[in-house]
Amino acid sequence: MEEIVFGIGITALAGALATVAGAAENTESDIGSQGDPNSQVQLAPQMGYIHRIFNKAVAGEPPAYGLWVALGAGLAWAFMAMQINPILAIVLGSALAVFVQGIYATTAYLGRTASLAKFGQPVYIDILKSMTTVTMAHAFVAIFTTVAMCHLMISALGHPFPLPLLGLVWGIALGAAGSATGNPFYGKERQYQSQKFGAGVPISASGNIVRYAEAGQRNSLDNGFFSAKLGGPASGICFGLIVFFELWRTVVFEELNIWGPIIVGVIVILIFAIIDRYIEVWARKAFGPYTAPEEASS
Amino acid sequence: MSVKIEVGAGGIPHNQILIYGLVGSLVLIYLTYLNTITGTQYFSFFGGLAAVVALLWGTDTIKHLCSYGLGTGVPSAGMIALGSGVVAAVFGATTGIFTPIVTIIIAAIIGAVAGVLANNVVRMDIPVMIVSLIELAIVGAMTVLGLAAMACGTFEFLGMITGTAVILGFAVPSYEFSVIGGSIIAVIFMLGAIAIQHSFNACLGPGEKQDRTLMLAAECGFLSMIPVAIISFAFIGLLPALVALLVSIIGWIYTYVQYIALSKRDAYAWLDAKPILEPKGGA
Repeated sequence: MEEIVFGIGITALAGALATVAGAAENTESDIGSQGDPNSQVQLAPQMGYIHRIFNKAVAGEPPAYGLWVALGAGLAWAFMAMQINPILAIVLGSALAVFVQGIYATTAYLGRTASLAKFGQPVYIDILKSMTTVTMAHAFVAIFTTVAMCHLMISALGHPFPLPLLGLVWGIALGAAGSATGNPFYGKERQYQSQKFGAGVPISASGNIVRYAEAGQRNSLDNGFFSAKLGGPASGICFGLIVFFELWRTVVFEELNIWGPIIVGVIVILIFAIIDRYIEVWARKAFGPYTAPEEASS
Repeated sequence: MSVKIEVGAGGIPHNQILIYGLVGSLVLIYLTYLNTITGTQYFSFFGGLAAVVALLWGTDTIKHLCSYGLGTGVPSAGMIALGSGVVAAVFGATTGIFTPIVTIIIAAIIGAVAGVLANNVVRMDIPVMIVSLIELAIVGAMTVLGLAAMACGTFEFLGMITGTAVILGFAVPSYEFSVIGGSIIAVIFMLGAIAIQHSFNACLGPGEKQDRTLMLAAECGFLSMIPVAIISFAFIGLLPALVALLVSIIGWIYTYVQYIALSKRDAYAWLDAKPILEPKGGA
C-alpha cells in the first residue's frame, strides 16, 4: 500500500512537471512559428505580405522535441555516468541541448528568409537577436522539466529504459501534444484574427496573416504573449494528463493484474473520446456560424 | 509545412558529391581504426568528420528527392534515412574490421527495399525514389556509425556495448554504461535525423543556393559533433575527448560564420530594427 501511495505521489509530481513542459513547449514553438502555422508564415511573402515574424522551421515539433529532449537526457546521462550529481547533470544537459536548439533556430530563420529574396522579404536581424533568446528560455524550461520527469520515472518508479531512450519517447510525445493542442490558438486564430470565427482559411486569404499589431508591427513575441494565455496552458494540461494517466494506470492497477493497466488505458481513451465529441458539438452550437462555408472576407 | 519546393540550379553535380561523400566518409571512418592499431583514442574525432561528409552528401540527395514536390516530406526523409541507417550500422558493427563496408552493403539493401515499397506499393512513383533511398540509407548508416565511433572510440560492436562503471571506487566493465546499453545510440539517431533534413528544410525556396545549403549541412554536422564529443567524456579518455571537442567547436564556428556570410549574400536586405518594407504597388 505504501508503495502505491509513493507511486501516486511521484505520478502527480511527474504530471505537474509535464504540465509546465507542455505550456513552455507550446509558447516556444509559437514564438518560432514552428509546426503547422509555419506554412502561412512561409507563404506570406510569396503572396506579397512582407512580415516581421520569426520563421523557425527546424522540423515538425515532434521530431524537433524528440531531439532536444533526447539530447538533454543523453547529456545528463553522460554527466551522471561521470559521477556528477543528477540535478546538476540534468541542468547542464538541458542547457547544452538548448544551445543546439538556439543554433538550429537561427540557421532556420536565416535560410528560409534568404531563400525568399525574390519576393522582397528582408532578413530582420533584430528578430534573431530578440526572439531566439526567448525561445531558448522557453525551450530550457520544457527540456529541463521533461528530462527531470524521465529521471523521476527511472529512479523513483523503476522504469527499465535508459534515460536517453525515455527522453526520446517523451520528447516526441511532448512535441505532439504541443503541436496538436496549442497550435490552433496561434495558427488558426492569431494569424487570422481578421477572418470570421470558424470560417477556416479560404485559398484567397492564404498568406494574408495579421502583420500589424494594435500599435506598430506585430512580431513573434506578441504571438508568444497571446498563446501563453490560452494555447500554452491547454498544451500543458494535455501533456500533463497524458503523463499522469499513463503513470497512474500502471502504478495503481499493475498490482491487480498485468493486463489491468492496458484495460484501464482503453477505458480512459474511450471516456476522453466521448468528452471530446460532446465539447465539440456543444462549441459548434454555442459559438459558430459553422453551418455553411463562408466566402473569403478579405 | 506544405510549401511548394523550388531548388536552385547549377552548382556541383550530384554524382560528384555522391562519390566524394561515399569515399570520404568510408576513409574517415577507417581512420578511427587507428585507435585500435596504435592503442590510443586520439583518432575518435575522425568518426564525427565522417558523419559531416556523409551529411553533406545526404543533404544534396534530399534536395534531389524532395524537388519532386515532397514539401512535408523533408523531415520524413531524414527519419527514414537514419531509421534504415541505424539498423544497418548496428548489424554491420558485428563484423569487425569490415564494419564500414558491410554497413554500406546492408544499408543499400534496406534502402532499396524501402524504395521499391514506396514506389510500387505506396505508388509514389517518383523516378529517383529508389536510388535516393539507397543513398539516404547509406548516409544514415555512415552518420550513425561515425558518431557512435566518435563517442566510444571504435566502430566495433563489442566496444559499443561495453562501458565501464565505477562501483565503490573500482572500475568494472558494464553493459549498462555503454553507447548502445545507455541508448546514446538513440541520441545519435535523432542528432543525425534532424541534421540531415535541416539544411534543405531551412534553405528551401526559390532562392535556394547549393553552396549555402551545403555549408549549412556542414554546420549541422559539426554542431551534432559537439554534444557527441561531450558525451564521449563518459567513454574515452579526457584528452582524446578534449581533442574531439576542440575539432568540433572549431569546425562549427568556421561553418557557422561562413553560413551567416552566405545568408547575407543571398538575402534581399539585411536590416536591423527596421519596419516592414511593403512591396511597391502594395500587397
